[in-house]
Amino acid sequence: MEEKLEEIKRNLHEEIRSIDAQKNAEHLRIKYLGRKGIISDLMKLIPTLPIDSRADFGQQVNSLKREITDSIEALFKTVSVQAVPKVKVELFDITLPGKLPFVGRNHPLTQTIADIKEVFASLGFDVAYGPEVELEYYNFEALNIPADHPSRTDFDTFYIKNDVLLRSQTSTVQIRVMEKQKPPIRIIAPGRVYRPDTVDARHSFMFHQVEGLLVDENVSFADLKGVLYQFIKAYFGQNVQMRLRPSFFPFTEPSAEVDISCSLCEGRGCSVCSYSGWVEILGAGMVDPNVFKAVHYDAEKYTGFAFGMGVERITMLKYGINDIRLFYENDLRFLSQF
Amino acid sequence: MKISYHWLKEYVAFHLSPQELAERLTDVGLVVADVKPVEDDFCLDIEVTSNRPDCLGVIGIAREVAAIVGGNVHFPETNYVLADAGISQTIAVTVDEPILCPRYTARVIRQITIAPSPEWMQKRLRCIGLRPVNNIVDITNYVMMETGQPLHAFDLDKITEQKIVVRKARSGEEIVALNGARRALFHNMLVIADGKKPVAIAGVMGGKETEVSETTRNILLECAQFEPRQVRRTSRELGIVSDSSYRFERGTDYECLDRASQRAARLIKDCSGGEIASDALDIKSGRHETKKITLRVKRLHTVLGTEIKRDLAIDILNKLSFTILNDNEDFIAVEVPGFRSDVYREIDLIEEIARIYGYNKIPVKTSISVRGNTKSKYEVVEDSVRQFFIGLGFYEVKTFSIVDTAPLQSVNLWSDRVGVEIANPLRLEESRLRTSLLPSLIGVKGHNLNHGTEHVRIFEIAKVYLAGDKLPQEKNCLSLLADADFLTIKGVFESLTRHLGIVLSCEWLPFIEPRLFRNERAARIQMGSAPVGYLGEASQELGFKAVSCLAEIDLDLLGEKANFARKYQDLPQYPAVFRDLALLVNEEVTWSSLERCIMNTGVDFLKELKFFDVYRGKQIPAGKKSVAFSLCFQAKDRTLTGEEVDHAQQIIVAALSGTVGAELRKA
Repeated sequence: MEEKLEEIKRNLHEEIRSIDAQKNAEHLRIKYLGRKGIISDLMKLIPTLPIDSRADFGQQVNSLKREITDSIEALFKTVSVQAVPKVKVELFDITLPGKLPFVGRNHPLTQTIADIKEVFASLGFDVAYGPEVELEYYNFEALNIPADHPSRTDFDTFYIKNDVLLRSQTSTVQIRVMEKQKPPIRIIAPGRVYRPDTVDARHSFMFHQVEGLLVDENVSFADLKGVLYQFIKAYFGQNVQMRLRPSFFPFTEPSAEVDISCSLCEGRGCSVCSYSGWVEILGAGMVDPNVFKAVHYDAEKYTGFAFGMGVERITMLKYGINDIRLFYENDLRFLSQF
Repeated sequence: MKISYHWLKEYVAFHLSPQELAERLTDVGLVVADVKPVEDDFCLDIEVTSNRPDCLGVIGIAREVAAIVGGNVHFPETNYVLADAGISQTIAVTVDEPILCPRYTARVIRQITIAPSPEWMQKRLRCIGLRPVNNIVDITNYVMMETGQPLHAFDLDKITEQKIVVRKARSGEEIVALNGARRALFHNMLVIADGKKPVAIAGVMGGKETEVSETTRNILLECAQFEPRQVRRTSRELGIVSDSSYRFERGTDYECLDRASQRAARLIKDCSGGEIASDALDIKSGRHETKKITLRVKRLHTVLGTEIKRDLAIDILNKLSFTILNDNEDFIAVEVPGFRSDVYREIDLIEEIARIYGYNKIPVKTSISVRGNTKSKYEVVEDSVRQFFIGLGFYEVKTFSIVDTAPLQSVNLWSDRVGVEIANPLRLEESRLRTSLLPSLIGVKGHNLNHGTEHVRIFEIAKVYLAGDKLPQEKNCLSLLADADFLTIKGVFESLTRHLGIVLSCEWLPFIEPRLFRNERAARIQMGSAPVGYLGEASQELGFKAVSCLAEIDLDLLGEKANFARKYQDLPQYPAVFRDLALLVNEEVTWSSLERCIMNTGVDFLKELKFFDVYRGKQIPAGKKSVAFSLCFQAKDRTLTGEEVDHAQQIIVAALSGTVGAELRKA
C-alpha cells in the first residue's frame, strides 16, 4: 500500500513538471481530486481493509490529499502567471465593428399597402381580395362602364379570351363583395392590376391599387371626405391639406379627384407637383346607382362611397422615387433602403 | 384642350385673371394643367374628362364660366344674306348608313377667294397651337374650336358626279388623307364618297384629292354627326387621329350642328367674299327628345351630407342652362340642354350642383361609426410568413405576373395544363401569365449579379395562374431563392411550418425538374394528400457560382393548415434522460426509415428523437455510414430509472437491427 501511495506521489510530480497550461492543470485536479479521482478511489478502499489498519491508511490518504492539493494549487498559480503575458499580446479591441446579422426587408410596396391597411383598419375596414383574371362583367359592365367605353378596347385592357381579361382596376372586388354580402359594407381591396402601357419611368403594365368601399344607410359625400381626410392626415402627416376636384368615373357619381398639398415644396410649387402646389393621389366618389342596380341593392335605401389609389404612385411620392421600374427590378441596393 | 383667354372673353364677361380663371375652372372639374402667355394673350390647357364633350369648344367653357361667375353666354352671329341659286342644283347627298351618321348637313358657297384669314383669327389659332393655312381651312378649324363641332370643306369642283354618299367603304378602296397618309379602307369603315370613290374618312379626316387649295373657287361645307364608336374604331385601325376624331369619339351635339355650319358659312362669306347657296341640305335620321329629370331636395341633402338651399340649387341649374320646368319645396323638375348628353338622372343633377357649389365647401364629416375589423386567416398567415423570412435575412421582391415565353417560364409545378396566354400582349416577350414564381426570382438573382451583388436571399409572395375552365385558378405561392444548401433551406421550411403551428408532418419525395433543380437534390414536399411545395438546389444549368437553393410553396395550403391557437402545457417536473447512439447502417438506409422504425416501436417515455450527423471515414466500412442521434426519455410523474431507459433503448436498437440491419457502433 505504501508503495502505491509513493507511486501516486511520483506520478503526480512528474505530471506537474510537464504541465504547461491552465486547462491541463484542471485536468490534473480532476484526475486526482475529482469525485471519481484517484484519492476518491483510495478512500473507497478503506472499508475493504482490515479494521486495525483502516485509521492509519485513512491518515496517509488524507495527508497525500493535502499534499496533492497544495501541489496542484501551486501549479495553478504558476500556469496562470505564465499565461498572463500571452493575454497581454492578444488585446481585445472593443472598437472593432460588430458582426452584422442578415436582416431582410419587406418590399416597399408591401410596406405601403400595410400602412394603408393599418389606417383603414383603425376606421373599421376589412380587407377583401378578388381574382386578377376576371370576367369582363366585373371589370366593366357591373361598374357601369358602357360597352363602347374607350377603356374596354384592347388598347387599354389585356384580354385572355372574349369575355375574360386581366383586371384593369381593383374595383372588381367591390362587385364581388356586394354580390355576396348585404350592407353595411366596409372594405379595402389591395392587389395587382394590369394595363397595356409601355414600361417607362412612369408607367408599368402591372401595378398595384387599393380600392375602398363603404356602403350603408345615410352615407354621404361629406362622410367620404371625412374618411379620406383621416387617411390623408394619418398617412401623409397632420400638416397636409386635402383638395377635391370634380371628375368623372363611370362607377361613381358625383366623382372627385383628390389632391394633397405637395409635401416637397409645401405648396410653393415644384417639379413634382408641376408647380401647382397640389399632387393628385386618388380618385373617389359616391357609388353610382347603376352599380347598386347591378348587385341588386336598393339605391334609395343605401348610399355609399368608393375610392381608389395607385400604390406605386403613393410610394413614389412618399419616398421621392422617380422611376417606377425600380419596384420590379428588385435590385438589393434599392430594396435595402426601405 | 387649349383655349385662348381673350377668345373666351368674347362669349362671357368675367373679371378673373388667367391664373384665377384656371383655379376656378379646376375647382369645377375642368383641370387647367397649364397657363402660358402667347403674344398678348394667354393659352389655357384644359383637361376635359371624357363625359364632357360639350367642353371641347370655347363656348362650352364659356357656359361653365358663366355658371361660376354668374353671367350669360353671348353666342356669335350666324345670320347672313343668301344667294339666289340653291344647293340642290349643284349636289345631291345620300346617307346610306343613318345609324352611323344620324345627321348630315351640307352648304355650298361659291365664288370664294382663297386668301390668308384675318389677322385676329390667325392670332387666336396660333395662341392655341394651330398653324394658320388659308381662310377656308382656318375658318373650319376656328368654328370647331369655338363650338366643339368639327366641319369639313371640300373643293366642290373636284367632287365627281356632283354627289355625296355617306356609305361604308368597299373592299379594295383606299384614300390619301389630308396629312399625306395613304390608307387601305375596310368594309367596316364609314366614308364620305363622291360618285366614284371615298373623298373623306367619316369623322376622321378629309382626303387629299378634294382638299381646298389656292385654286379652289367653290366649296361644299360639311357639318355632320357620326357615331362615336365607329369613329374611334376607324381612327385606331387606320392610325389617324385628328381634332375631329377626338371630338366625334366623345360625342357631338346633335342640335347645335346646323348652327355651327351657319356660323362657318357666315365667316366664309365675310372673309372670302363668297356667296352662300340659298338652301342647305340637312338629312336627319336620329330622333331626339329632350330629357326631363326631377330632383328631390331631400335626396340632394342626403347624398351630399349638407343642406344646400333649394334656391341656390335652382340658381346653379339655371346658370348651367338647365330649364326649370317646375319647382316646389321638395322637388325641382328640369329639362336638360341638348349638349349635356352626360346628364340623365337625378344623381347627375346632384353632381352638377355639388360641382358648382364647390366640393371643398361640403363639410368633412367624421361621424363614421367605429367598428372593429377582423383580419382573415390568410392575411395573418401572409404577414407572419413575411416577418419570418425578413427575420432570417431574406429580402422581399415583387416581379411581374406577365412573363415571356422562354422555356424556363413553361415550368409548371402545380398543374399539367398549359399556362394562360394573353390575347393582346404588349410585346411577345410579355404574353403569358406565370405558372411559377421561380423563373422570376432567378431573373432577380441575375440582375443583382450583373450589378455586383453576389449573394442574395430573396422571397416573393404572389399568385401563379393555372388554367381553369372559365377563369384560371389563382394560387398564392411563396417562393424563395438563397445561397444555401438543400438541408439549410429544408430547415428553413421546417422551421416555417412550426412557426405557423402546423402539426401535420411532411413527406419528402424525390423530384426531377432539371430546368430548375439539380438532380437528386430536389424534393416534392407532400403534406397529407397534396403537394405543399418543391425544394431543391439550383440546377447547374442556371450557372450560379455558389450553391443556391430554390423553393416554391403553396401558401394557400400552408394557410389552411396553419394553427395559431396555443395552449399552455405544464412544464415537466422530472428530469429527462438523454441517450446518444451511433449506428452503422448501409448507405441506402434513409434517416426517415430510421425515424419511422424508432417511432413504430412505441416505447414508453420516448419524448424526442434528434439527429446529430452522418459520418463516413476510415473507421467505417465501405458502403456503410454511421448515423448519430440522441434519444430523450422523460416521464410526467417520476424520475425514470436507469433500467427503464436501458430497456427502452434495447428495444429501439433491436428494432433498428431487425428492420434496417443497423448495428450499434463501437467506439
